[in-house]
Amino acid sequence: MSNLQRQSPRDLEAARAPRAWLGALGGVGLLALSLVFIWGGIGLGLGAPRRLGTGAFPVITGCALAALSVAIIVIDLRDTSAAERPDWMSFAAIGAALAAFAIVADWFGLIPAVFATTVVASLPDPTLPILGKLILGLVVSLGCWGLFIGLLDLPLQAFKGF
Amino acid sequence: MDILSNFGDGLLIALQPYNLLYCFIGVFLGTFIGVLPGIGSMAAISMILPLTFYLEPTSALVMIAGVYYGAEYGGSIASILMNIPGTPSSSITCIDGYPMARDGRAGVALFASAIASFGGGIIGMVVMALLAPVLAALALNFGPTEYFAVILLGLVAASAVSNGSPVKGVATVVAGLMLGTIGVDITTGAERFTMGIPELRDGVNLVIVAMGLFGVGELIVSIRANSGGAPKNRIDYANFYPNRAEWKAMFGPILRGGGIGSFFGALPGTGQTVASAIAYAVEKKLSPNRGRFGKGAIEGVAVPESANNSATQTAFIPTLTLGVPGSASMALVIGALMIHGVTPGPRLLIDHADLFWGLVASFLVGNLLLLVLNIPMIGLWVRLLQIPYKYMYPTIIVLICIGVYSVNNNVFDIWLTLAFGWAGYLMRLFRFEPAPLLIGFVLGPMMEEQLRRAMLLSRGDPTVFLTRPISGVLIMITAALLVYSFGAALKSRRHARQSARLTH
Repeated sequence: MSNLQRQSPRDLEAARAPRAWLGALGGVGLLALSLVFIWGGIGLGLGAPRRLGTGAFPVITGCALAALSVAIIVIDLRDTSAAERPDWMSFAAIGAALAAFAIVADWFGLIPAVFATTVVASLPDPTLPILGKLILGLVVSLGCWGLFIGLLDLPLQAFKGF
Repeated sequence: MDILSNFGDGLLIALQPYNLLYCFIGVFLGTFIGVLPGIGSMAAISMILPLTFYLEPTSALVMIAGVYYGAEYGGSIASILMNIPGTPSSSITCIDGYPMARDGRAGVALFASAIASFGGGIIGMVVMALLAPVLAALALNFGPTEYFAVILLGLVAASAVSNGSPVKGVATVVAGLMLGTIGVDITTGAERFTMGIPELRDGVNLVIVAMGLFGVGELIVSIRANSGGAPKNRIDYANFYPNRAEWKAMFGPILRGGGIGSFFGALPGTGQTVASAIAYAVEKKLSPNRGRFGKGAIEGVAVPESANNSATQTAFIPTLTLGVPGSASMALVIGALMIHGVTPGPRLLIDHADLFWGLVASFLVGNLLLLVLNIPMIGLWVRLLQIPYKYMYPTIIVLICIGVYSVNNNVFDIWLTLAFGWAGYLMRLFRFEPAPLLIGFVLGPMMEEQLRRAMLLSRGDPTVFLTRPISGVLIMITAALLVYSFGAALKSRRHARQSARLTH
């Protein structure tokens, strides 16, 4: 039995390289952005050719982007070459790490935020046990405390609300 | 003679103890970050940028420049030892550097790379000292029409000629121009696209855009790429220095690489990667030993390294004299200068001569530091590459967070960095280059201002851009560049489709 036959449909789906036409989604995103700027720019006022209004430049660039976005959508929809496989785990973990920093720094200060960020960022790595993640968080927190607060004396609050 | 005396004055500035210290810190941190595979000079500069806010403009620029060429050199170390280019421009060094390392000549390859980088850097510095004043004098006659045309040419060159699809490149640069309009309009005082968020009244901070797109975006990509760990490399310190024949073989390539790199570095849009690739191709054609190329030829390491480093220095020419960055890294340099209240452009050489010549002289000092620092520290960089990435990337993300947070002490900036970081990753996934977005973002406000002025002076006549000789020529070059890039892209797509049909 070949390897391919032994794989489940889910594995096969995961193994299949995403198609480049996914790039058309990027084109759609840019098109939406351009429409927002055109709409907003018209609302701000275009002015006259001699005295361009606040909205003139966003409208000019918005129109250019709208045309280019349509071209991108058309080109990418016809493209069937293999594209890079997304790494959603790292995407989510790094996003969560930044979110953890934003929330914890606001409530508890810099050092707890550094600890939380380090632990959350390292979560997707299965080779590092949870104790290892906690120790890494502690080491990075102490290092940042020493460097940024102790040595560089940055005007950041190490701890808040304690 | 003027140049020599100005350079002498610049040397005195560069040798001030604090400038020397910041140059050293810049070169060290740049090399440190550049060594990490997948983390390029853009991410390195973005991470360092908030630290430079506390410095004098000259010291800040000297430090950023040190980070820039330090990261470029650091990228070569990962290329030679692991066959993973730390920066895109050092990918050419892999071709001969990695085979040399596999043959047990990693030490010689690293030494050759350091010497060639130094040689190329010095050639780039000389070209910058000679050419920048001439270009600045020419640009003194520019009015808003010419400035608009120069910026347009810079934007198109940086986006259409860059890697990937030219349509996507131009679209990304336009998106950057649009992002640059967020905030209060300086002419009318009206708020634009702030959605009522007070933090957006001053526009989106450059540090956030750069850290998000490059710091966070590159980090997400690098996690999987580096999960395999680094192969063990042993450096034989007894076999570290090139022999006489190898020194002789390197000399010509370093000079040629430096010359080619200087030329392409000064052109907007081409940058170090193109410079290294062309220098390598030329050297391969000229060399009597072309059969050895790709199998561990020392010339194959020396020539791209020299070209890469000289292009790094000459990229400052259009950036400082015209205010038009040829690459995203240079856009960050412009942003950093503006944060310090220094406007890049032809007046920079008159109003801030100390800054300009201090920077030029710091290239000499920085390249010497790079040499002195790296030859004894190669062992340290090798050990750094052995640290499992699972310990490195959480630390890097923390440094990014602290860098962004320290600018305004505001967590809103972190949320915005997260949005730009995710956007940066999705852009890479969807095959959009994030670099043009940053260039457009930095140049957007300048371009809008020059457009408004030009239209006011011409009493609303848009043909002024074509009828004034300098701007007319620049617009024609821009149009030709666009047509050429789109034509070349169409041709390569047709080729790819034909070869796909043949294989089926």
